[in-house]
Amino acid sequence: MALLLKNISVPLASFTLEVDVEIRGRVTAIFGPSGAGKTTLLDLVAGLRPAQSAFIQMDDRILMDTSQRIFVPSRRRGIGYVPQDLALFPHLSVRQNLLYGQKSGDGANPSLTLDRVVEVLEIRSLVERRITDLSGGEKQRVAIARALLSSPRLLLLDEPLASLDLPLRARIIPYLARIRDEFRVPMLYVTHDRFETLALADEMVVLVNGKVAQSGPVQELFNRPASPDVAGALAVETVLKGTIEHVENGLATVAVGPAMLAAVDHGLPPGAHDVYACIRAENVVILKGAGVSNSARNHLPGTIHSLSHDGRLMRVELDCGFPLTALLTRQSCEDMNLAPGDRVTAQVKAQHVHLIAR
Amino acid sequence: MSAEEWQIIGFTAWVAALSTIVILPFGLGAAWLLARHDWPGKTLFETVITLPLVMPPVATGLLLLTFFGNNGIGGFVHKHLGFRIIFTWRAVLLALAVMSFPLLVRSVRTAFEGVNPRLEQIARTLGAGDLRVFFTISVPLAFRGIVSGMLLAYARALGEFGATVMVAGNIPGKTTTISLAIFESVQDFQDTEAYRLLGVSTVLAFIAVWAGEWVIRRRKS
Repeated sequence: MALLLKNISVPLASFTLEVDVEIRGRVTAIFGPSGAGKTTLLDLVAGLRPAQSAFIQMDDRILMDTSQRIFVPSRRRGIGYVPQDLALFPHLSVRQNLLYGQKSGDGANPSLTLDRVVEVLEIRSLVERRITDLSGGEKQRVAIARALLSSPRLLLLDEPLASLDLPLRARIIPYLARIRDEFRVPMLYVTHDRFETLALADEMVVLVNGKVAQSGPVQELFNRPASPDVAGALAVETVLKGTIEHVENGLATVAVGPAMLAAVDHGLPPGAHDVYACIRAENVVILKGAGVSNSARNHLPGTIHSLSHDGRLMRVELDCGFPLTALLTRQSCEDMNLAPGDRVTAQVKAQHVHLIAR
Repeated sequence: MSAEEWQIIGFTAWVAALSTIVILPFGLGAAWLLARHDWPGKTLFETVITLPLVMPPVATGLLLLTFFGNNGIGGFVHKHLGFRIIFTWRAVLLALAVMSFPLLVRSVRTAFEGVNPRLEQIARTLGAGDLRVFFTISVPLAFRGIVSGMLLAYARALGEFGATVMVAGNIPGKTTTISLAIFESVQDFQDTEAYRLLGVSTVLAFIAVWAGEWVIRRRKS
């Protein structure tokens, strides 16, 4: 599947959504803070809203082209949409909901039968129930199943897990992975959750204030955000202003406040002096007591400012002359008996300090 | 009760019901257009169909009389279709329909506006065309409002007086409705008959409201 979005321009209340991007992933995450225009973009792809200008092409079919006044109505687009509020029809039973858009015969995807979809999403026991009797996670799966049964060539998911609590999210993710692997329906997936993105998506598009701030393979974006905006949207926890002291053999030394950081130079513009140094919390290792020598280039003495729960992990805020965030397992925190005020050493490999010129 | 009174009661209940049924498709259509679409002239249209609600009924009746009289559409209809409108039961139907239409539209419009547009949009992404979306999503979800609108319209039609008397007159056995008969009885100092008809209209109104509530309740459970 190739989805081409060109010259998109949709004026919104506080900014204009302007997108120019080609999407080729099996699962592409549209990532961005709330209010970045993510839902508007999905609505546009689904054919549910007009645009000042837009060119949308899926494979070799033009779905919308304002310059030629082409607009394929949503019912003919073959695009399934699971909106954030799910939009299950409350007056119909689960079965009636599932069958509402079911396609059979020509144009139907032969692997997407009621039987198979119901089995993969484990909703067989719910089929005779009423929508109002379902739990949040059950509704979620029914809404996804309903969209799948219309044999879509592309599935749009708008923050499908946002309304669910953490343990439930973890249980739904495998279902989405199964849809990806078993039914091979390409997905465009709006989220602002990193774990979902890492678990499901292979490509991502970061939207900030209606503009594509960066797009590409997921790992690449997480490891090398192109701008502080992207780093912020991806919740790369530590983004520090620094100045480059010198670069030697591809290793940059960056002054951040009173501290010095070593970073691998991944092609900074020549002569770059002022930079942002980005460090993801999961790449920070904490040592208590004397540091044993190891391969990490950065050994930063500091004190623990605070500890807080972050899902199954612990978020440790450090003061190393600059604020630094680390994500540790609860077990590690308990084993080391970490508490606010403790003197520790934070270690970060040089290739985990990502520099962005500013 | 006399045979004449039974005729009046039967005629009133029937013509009010017929009027409600006749305006239903137009009411649904107009309410839908007002609730879900923006188009040039929308405000004008809205104002015109609301006029009968705010104008004196007698004035609306006079307007209808002028419009559907022998010098208006009525003459044309009589010449080409061979029947008269004014001072016949058709004029009663016309008066009731015009007077109760705004009530139906207002109620149904509010009901349509209460339907989450997202449901209609998602139905379209599932391949449903406009008509299918309308009849399988919008109408069922607005059902309670549609029923209350029909009730209001029916009740308004049962009690219509001013417009009816202008376009249909008060012809015994032909155009006399309960309201007209009550007025006439009081004019003639026939209080017993007036109170009997008063009782009947109370019962009719009670049945209509109760039946409506029953339908809504049954639908909900």
